[in-house]
Amino acid sequence: MKRTYIYISLLFLIITSCVENPNVTEDVFFDTYNPSSSWVNGLKRQLALTMNQVVINSEMTSDNYFNNYTLYSKVFDKPEIVFTDLDVNRTQVEIGVLREMAEYAIETVLPKDSEAVDSDWSYAYFSKAYALILAGENFIGLPDETNGIVLSSKELLLKSLSYLDLAIEYEPDISTQKVYELLKARVYRSLGDTVNAKLYASKIIGETELLFNVYFDGTNGVINEMQNATFTASENRFAPLPRLDFLDPKYYDEGTAVSDQKPIALVKAEEAYLILAEALTTENKITEAKTILKNLITDVIENRPIAYIDDSRELRNGSNRDDYPKTAVNIRFDNTKPYLPDYVLDRQSGKIKIHTISGTKVTTSDINNITTLDEGLYLIYRLRQEIFISEGRRSADLGIKFPVSETEQQNNPNISDKFTQALIPNFIPLNFELDNFLVDSKTGNITILHDMNSVLVANKTSEYVLPFN
Amino acid sequence: MKIKITIILLAFAALIFSNLYAANLHPKVNYINLYNNQINLHLKSIKTSDVFALIEKQSNKKFIYISNEPFLEKRISIDVTNQSLEDVLIIIKNILPIDFKIVKNKILVKTIKANIKKSNQEKRTIKGTVVDDTNMPAIGANVFVEELKIGTITDFDGKFKITIPTSVKKLIVTYLGYKRKEILLGSNSTLNIKLEINSSQLDEVVVTGQGASVSKKRLSNHVETIKAVDLEKIPAQRIDQLLSTKLPNAQINLTGGQSGATSIIRARGINSAFLSSTPIFYIDGVRMDNLNTTSTLGGGSSQGAAISSIADIPMDNIERIEYINGGAATTLYGSDAANGVIQIFTKKGSREGFQISVSSIAGVVTPTTDFLYFKHTKDLLFKSGSYQKYNLSISGGNDNGFGYSFSGNYLNNKGVQIHNNNANEKLDFSTGFRAKIGDKVTYKSSFIYVNNSFKRNRNGNQGGYTGLWFTESGASLRNGFNNRLDDLTPEEFEAIKTYVDKAEELQDNQINVNRFTTSQSFSYRPFNGFEAKFTGGIDFRVQDDQTIQTNEYLTHTTQRNVQGEGSIDNVTRKYFGITLELNLQHKFKTGSFSFISTLGSQLFRNKDHQIQFKGSNIRDGAQTINGAAIKTSNEYLSEVLNYGIYIQENIGYKDRLFLDLGVRGDKNPSFGDNIGTQYYPKIGMSWIASSEPWFTKKSIINSLRFRSNYGLAGNLPPAFVNERTIDFDGFREGQVAFFGQPGNADLKPEKTTTYEFGIDISLWKNRVQFSAGYYNANTKDALFYVPPTPSSGFSTSQLYNVGEIENKGWEISTNLVPIQTNNTTLALNISVNTLKNLVVNSGGIAPFNINGFSSRTIQTVVEEGYPIGYIRGNLGKFDNNGILTSTTAQSYLGTTIPNLYGNIGLNLNYKQLTFFANANYQKGAYANSFDQQFRFLYGASDDIVPQAEVDANGTSNWLNFTNLFTEKTDFLKIRTIGLNYNLIPKNKNSIKSISIGLTVNNPLNFTSSSFDPEATISGSATGQGGASTGGISYATYSAPRQFLTSLKFNF
Repeated sequence: MKRTYIYISLLFLIITSCVENPNVTEDVFFDTYNPSSSWVNGLKRQLALTMNQVVINSEMTSDNYFNNYTLYSKVFDKPEIVFTDLDVNRTQVEIGVLREMAEYAIETVLPKDSEAVDSDWSYAYFSKAYALILAGENFIGLPDETNGIVLSSKELLLKSLSYLDLAIEYEPDISTQKVYELLKARVYRSLGDTVNAKLYASKIIGETELLFNVYFDGTNGVINEMQNATFTASENRFAPLPRLDFLDPKYYDEGTAVSDQKPIALVKAEEAYLILAEALTTENKITEAKTILKNLITDVIENRPIAYIDDSRELRNGSNRDDYPKTAVNIRFDNTKPYLPDYVLDRQSGKIKIHTISGTKVTTSDINNITTLDEGLYLIYRLRQEIFISEGRRSADLGIKFPVSETEQQNNPNISDKFTQALIPNFIPLNFELDNFLVDSKTGNITILHDMNSVLVANKTSEYVLPFN
Repeated sequence: MKIKITIILLAFAALIFSNLYAANLHPKVNYINLYNNQINLHLKSIKTSDVFALIEKQSNKKFIYISNEPFLEKRISIDVTNQSLEDVLIIIKNILPIDFKIVKNKILVKTIKANIKKSNQEKRTIKGTVVDDTNMPAIGANVFVEELKIGTITDFDGKFKITIPTSVKKLIVTYLGYKRKEILLGSNSTLNIKLEINSSQLDEVVVTGQGASVSKKRLSNHVETIKAVDLEKIPAQRIDQLLSTKLPNAQINLTGGQSGATSIIRARGINSAFLSSTPIFYIDGVRMDNLNTTSTLGGGSSQGAAISSIADIPMDNIERIEYINGGAATTLYGSDAANGVIQIFTKKGSREGFQISVSSIAGVVTPTTDFLYFKHTKDLLFKSGSYQKYNLSISGGNDNGFGYSFSGNYLNNKGVQIHNNNANEKLDFSTGFRAKIGDKVTYKSSFIYVNNSFKRNRNGNQGGYTGLWFTESGASLRNGFNNRLDDLTPEEFEAIKTYVDKAEELQDNQINVNRFTTSQSFSYRPFNGFEAKFTGGIDFRVQDDQTIQTNEYLTHTTQRNVQGEGSIDNVTRKYFGITLELNLQHKFKTGSFSFISTLGSQLFRNKDHQIQFKGSNIRDGAQTINGAAIKTSNEYLSEVLNYGIYIQENIGYKDRLFLDLGVRGDKNPSFGDNIGTQYYPKIGMSWIASSEPWFTKKSIINSLRFRSNYGLAGNLPPAFVNERTIDFDGFREGQVAFFGQPGNADLKPEKTTTYEFGIDISLWKNRVQFSAGYYNANTKDALFYVPPTPSSGFSTSQLYNVGEIENKGWEISTNLVPIQTNNTTLALNISVNTLKNLVVNSGGIAPFNINGFSSRTIQTVVEEGYPIGYIRGNLGKFDNNGILTSTTAQSYLGTTIPNLYGNIGLNLNYKQLTFFANANYQKGAYANSFDQQFRFLYGASDDIVPQAEVDANGTSNWLNFTNLFTEKTDFLKIRTIGLNYNLIPKNKNSIKSISIGLTVNNPLNFTSSSFDPEATISGSATGQGGASTGGISYATYSAPRQFLTSLKFNF
């Protein structure tokens, strides 16, 4: 009898005394077939997640969009950027994940996997390079390894070049090689290296359809957050500066939102034209620059797709302001400039036309009218703003850079206090003025408070903006 | 260090085993002569002549008998410990046809003729009534014959009937809270027994915290005991609601008025920054699911809020509840008992025969509108609803240790929200059995099944339309309505009412819980003083959570034509817990010392399995995702396995000084690879000063006890978070791999070290009972989710034992009986608890939120140098004109933890009539009203913010002076007021008694804040999920008022 009790007890113990981790540990992962394919796919997913953080925060921090809801940061619109802010940390985390995942691919996953192919290697190098580019463009500096020393913005950009070279070397697809070359042009521009920027940008002129996207997957929870903020969400989360109203939204969905997540252009031909034109203008080669810019309009932008969508539910007004124009009023770029029509759309009178890759109101005749270097630069920066809207580029063009986050400083002994201050150039208006506009109470016409492209050109000698000057 | 503890443990175990072994060393000559000439015999099938010889050795008396009597050859079994010679002889008389007579040092043995023996074997029936000190029937008192282990329980009228051998000379009566009474039996077969209140209830026997039964006086800590009679009086809907006024040293606040809302239960502050302060629950020794936290997989109608698993524990078959509030008291529960233990014991039968009672509770529930800003909100969102509950209870038993009980309940509460959006229907059955298997084994079991289904209204975190946000927060402006609801024209009101009515009607959020719990226990008593008890059981709880959003609902609430966006989101959460426990207890006494040795082992395994399945682009009207254009699913699995061994020695000296020693060792796969067995030691002392010989009996002090102890208890880290993992997901039709959690090989449970001392004093014939204690609880290895260093490439926070949290305070409770006459008793109780909570050390990690929204709005935060979960937001300063001059981001705006709290209760008995009332209070905490903040933003109110600021800046600074929307949350809430009358019919043939009651739940609220200080989004999905301190009031319903009548028939 006693023995039976013992057996029953032991049986109970055996049945109940083992639990198995349902998750996959690192060791188990490397024992499986072709881990590289999943890891490289993971890099693609992480690129999407990283871009979500960068795009949302950059668009908000700049004059492109303001946040009209309680979600997302409430202070980047000011702009106010403090190193204790979780949104600062989150952006840094996402860039860090992309960089470390790429590093892990290069150092661990790919070498251990005999099935890894060249394109896997190429994508890993590109990912590492792009993480460094995002860090260099958007942060005053960041460590490039776990608890490493801070590399300055310039050092990060310089470092990205060698990885881009490796990406090009391993990349079997010629068109993708060109994408990486254009990225090199972008990096050289940021570094103010006119010669190399022109060299690499020139290689792309004529590649009018070049486009490299970052893709999303709503069904797996990786939505295009910018699409959500500007179109999908029923609340009016992001509202554009009225002068850019005609470019909103860039991303939209039809049917079920999760299954229709639009990609964001990471690299596109337009940038080569803009870099080349900017470099030529700076060299006072106005005529050549004008030709490039006109080609940009006629050969590239006019051939980019457009779509017509019903955006009648866009009510614009939310928590922050309730006087956003909802009908087709006229706008002025600032109070010194004339009122212009067609910049603000009436979204209730039928479908609206949208530009899914690039759009602009700059015309070839505007370009023809350029006579001075500053006029040229003004139009180039307007074009950059309009072409790159919703792609997370504008805050870098304004010279705004994020600090190293408090969490990094607390865990990493290499972070001195000088890296914990954001860079907001002194010509950037504060107190929400970047996004501010005045509404004429009689006509409803709009005057934008600051034409930031004029401000940029006026401050072209600043070390923080217009890198060729 | 670890080796030393192991050696001590082994030595301790050896001591206990040697003790037990000695008792069983000589199976044939099985006796130990211990003290006072008392007899110890543990004999099986031994010749009577040999038995006599053994008794002679222990008694120094010689048997005188005729040597050829046949009974001398008969083999008998006898099992007695520390029994007097007389008692032993009575037992033998009952076995053999002989009688004894003691003459000096001789025992004369005489054979009884057959007819005389027959009369000896005859039985007699004793009837009687047991009343308490107020002459009220003592319901459920135990009446038993100790040596024969037979007994019964008194019925509703305090009556009992027991049939016993005529040789039995003594009956014992015990009743919780009263002194044990021994009744010497004479010829009278009808007894009237009056019980006396137990001094300080110190002789009361408890189990919780001890492994097996021990009287309270031997313990160095408080054990709160709540009797069935106290539970039955209050018609509460859930057990935590019921306990909130019954536990003097714990604070239990429901965080919202919706069915299934979580409660914040905290006894000794908040000792964890990652885990809720909810104690662990046991039913009949089996651990219950107490996942008082948000579901890991979002979605469903609990999205953004937690659903309580305590809400569906049945309450109608409970015999008693024991509660210990952490510290040394919970050491034997080991790695996750730092928040205390609530142990529920169900009924396992009653007195002889068959008893039945039926009861019904019916009434009205009305909304608590005290805290609504707009009067019209009530008209828009609320209504009164009906409440019905029916109960059938059957119980019975016999003298031979068999007992059974059954309780079946049906509850239907329509709730107070329009379209019955928070209706609750609950069906539960519970049964209990006890039976004796042979002489030595007792079997007990209980089975509980619950089906609890309720509707949930959308809560503030869900985004989109939310009833309270729409009305109280002024968000109706966004849909084009005038949001100053009390200024509406009749037409405007009609328009908004139509809109809200439809929005509420189109909501479809349903939660359905099925729960099955069983406990099986075997108790084996091979000889007196030793008991081996095995308890095993399971708790299986399945929560189905469904949210249906139709296109029609989305079209209506977003005011745009929505097609193809209808969705159904389901989350099924299955909890499966197994508990196995083996407990050995040995009691023995020598000289002035008494020992209770306990050795036990416990294994529990909890599995939390969550599955989410979601369908999008689904036709309105569909109830399943079968027809959805897109179907997605997700899964989460967590399994906790914990095995522990505990040893305890309770040593008593002259029944007045007690030393309590114990240690538990736990192993658990969730500990890191570098972490071995975790030990939880305790030491405590209890001194009954009033039992000292020098203590004057004429003093007004009836009893006086000092107690102090030191002990450890823990909180477990979640399963598997110690391991470094790779995570996987799908992305663009391929599999993706990425970094999972960083892992932590040094992960271990957080351990709370508590020392405490206290005094329990009973005065003026026990009419004043006062208890006071001080505790200091320090959690040194507090588990904090450390955010990843951004440069590390990990995006998931990892648990590390880096924090230190301190809680200290006084726990004082008093029971007073100012009036006590034959017909009238007035009893009052009041408790006062102070609490100081501080995060002493955060291990250098940045402040993190455990609740709330983004860092720029409002959060409750953990930060070194502050109490856990303080309110952090923007602090605005204004100039003399009232215009904002500066804003300091992320400032301390107040603590959410009260520094003073307690209960107040009153009980007045007049004959068969009882009036009772009880209340909770708290002081010193703060909360933010995000509703107010939104109201300002949307221009729905003019109060709070200076007009000059509004004139200058409009509402653009709405988030820059969150301090203006933060208020003190002192409160006194009257939880229950009730009246009960017991009607005893003259003719009791059919109905034995009728009980009629009238109760009002939540009748009165006195608060310093303009909003409900309890209606906080404690279970918000934001933050770390587990730990929660409340503190943010946002779109949360207050607990409704209930006006209930009850009627109970006992047959």
